Amino acid sequence: MSALRSPLVVVGGAVVVAVAAAAVFAPVVAPYDPTALSGGALEPPSADHLLGTDVIGQDVFSRILWGARSSLLVGGGAAGLAIVVAILVGVLSALAGRRVDVVVMRILDVALALPRLPLLVLVGALVGPSRIALILLIAFVFFPGPARIFRSQALNVRTRGFIEASQGFGGGSLYLLRRHVVPAMGPIVIEVFVALIGRTILFAATLAFLGLADPTEVSWGLMLNQALLETGLYFTPAWTWLVLPAGFAITLVVLGFTFLGVGLEPLLNPRWKRGL
Amino acid sequence: MLTRPHPRDTAQETFAFDDDVRGAPGVDVDAGGAGRRRPLRAIAISYLVTVFVLVTLNFLLPRALPGDPILSLIDPAAPTRVPIEELRQELEAFYGLDRPLLVQYVDYLGDLARGDLGVSIRYNRPVAELIGERLPWTLLLIVAAMGFATIVGWVAGVHSAWRRGRPVDMGLLTVFLTLRSFPTFFLGSIALFVLGVQLDLFPLAGARSTSELMGPLARAVDIAHHLALPALIMALPFVGGHYHLMRASIVTELGADYLVAGRAKGLGERRLKYGYAARNALLPVVTLTALHLSAAVTTEAIVVETVFGYPGLGRLLVDAVPFRDYPTLQASFLILAFVVVTANLLADLLYAALDPRTRR
Repeated sequence: MSALRSPLVVVGGAVVVAVAAAAVFAPVVAPYDPTALSGGALEPPSADHLLGTDVIGQDVFSRILWGARSSLLVGGGAAGLAIVVAILVGVLSALAGRRVDVVVMRILDVALALPRLPLLVLVGALVGPSRIALILLIAFVFFPGPARIFRSQALNVRTRGFIEASQGFGGGSLYLLRRHVVPAMGPIVIEVFVALIGRTILFAATLAFLGLADPTEVSWGLMLNQALLETGLYFTPAWTWLVLPAGFAITLVVLGFTFLGVGLEPLLNPRWKRGL
Repeated sequence: MLTRPHPRDTAQETFAFDDDVRGAPGVDVDAGGAGRRRPLRAIAISYLVTVFVLVTLNFLLPRALPGDPILSLIDPAAPTRVPIEELRQELEAFYGLDRPLLVQYVDYLGDLARGDLGVSIRYNRPVAELIGERLPWTLLLIVAAMGFATIVGWVAGVHSAWRRGRPVDMGLLTVFLTLRSFPTFFLGSIALFVLGVQLDLFPLAGARSTSELMGPLARAVDIAHHLALPALIMALPFVGGHYHLMRASIVTELGADYLVAGRAKGLGERRLKYGYAARNALLPVVTLTALHLSAAVTTEAIVVETVFGYPGLGRLLVDAVPFRDYPTLQASFLILAFVVVTANLLADLLYAALDPRTRR
């Protein structure tokens, strides 16, 4: 279990916990309502406004704290949904027999080949901005990769000695699935999930930056979108407090999940485990 | 004789569960099922199926999804407005939307085959013309970014593998891991602010200066000057992908007999590193990754062109969204997706050509 104490896991875990805390306690900690006009436009950072105010006079610090909510909600929701669909598709495909498996895999191949960002820009433009739609869409474009991983894991697990032994003692297929196949896949599922959250958060932020999120929402990607719409911003000092906090917030949370994902790998990858 | 594992296999194993190690998160990296051995026929079929799915999605999505392009034609703020029924019917008849779906589909395929992509609502010009103007800039950006990412990634990868486990190796590993987590639009904005505005080293937007009084050489320099910053930012997240693969690939070469022999007869480290190990690691793994990544880079063009005001295809796509310019939106999606899928096809074909095991 030494992987749990690796610097990657410790740092990544700390960042994720901090962001989750910001998301949960935003209403208590944030000094202002994130949508209230609590000051003048583009005020520099001060004791009243720790990170200054934005173009219309909203408190940037409060918006950063509240932004953690939508970031984790959209990113985590999409990743969670993608993982559930991936498990269903992957495991069922592996257990359903050769014919179904081949067909499902070909479909996943095509789904993987579709370019995600252009597709979601098109669909997002057609559907209009909505958080639920965004979660569903992101989950849809991200599930094929994990589905393939889970399928090969399920195939692999199925042929292990302990399954055959259990079968030999008369274990039914449902019993095997519940008692052996799913527990054996647990660690892989967790690791793929953690690594996926980082990517879905970044993807959601990218879409928001491109202007494909509900403009009334408080999110980091949207803050950057609104800041960079004002091209004159680059020539004012306001750039530093409008762009840097939101940009670093996104970077930090993605970095946290990436570190956690990479750090967990040796713990969960059976090939490495033998050496521990 | 010592048998060494095929570098491709080792590289694959190393990243078995981290499919985004080859590119930046948030971008298509596992697009196209990279790195599996497939016969040529399967590659061709899956390419054709993918193109067919793209073309069909492009037809079906606007018709199947909520949101009404016709209403938005009548008034951009349509949801709040009572639509005029006769006008609506007239417009539907004009665009042929009142006919059976199958007839519309056949018409659409015919138009595509003739290169007719519709007329832009915003610019009131044929979309094919707009795309013709924008595509070369996007291709230029992709090629420049790929070249940069590949060269830096390879050199860093060889260097890191040679000193694996030492501080340099760990340092580079951390830097590239961190770089992958920076959103491209954030890095781009920082670059614009620091290098463009504060230091005034690079132009802030566009692909070239408007001045017409330029010789060919000055023009080339001007275009390169405009290209440098967007291409660099676009490349940064992908340097890590090349770096990782090159490093993994070289590490498998390190114990090889030919390196021991080379060292024994007194060849210099530099020669061993780049002339022997890198050359052997290069062909199978890395050439192919370059192409696979180019597919990923293409989607990144959407973001980079938006940040840098670069007049490419990605920007055409994004700019069409607030204007509800559906013909432009659909056509630029289709062409951009087509470039991505074709880059993947080239990668698969090249891989088939490079790996003798996929022949036959």
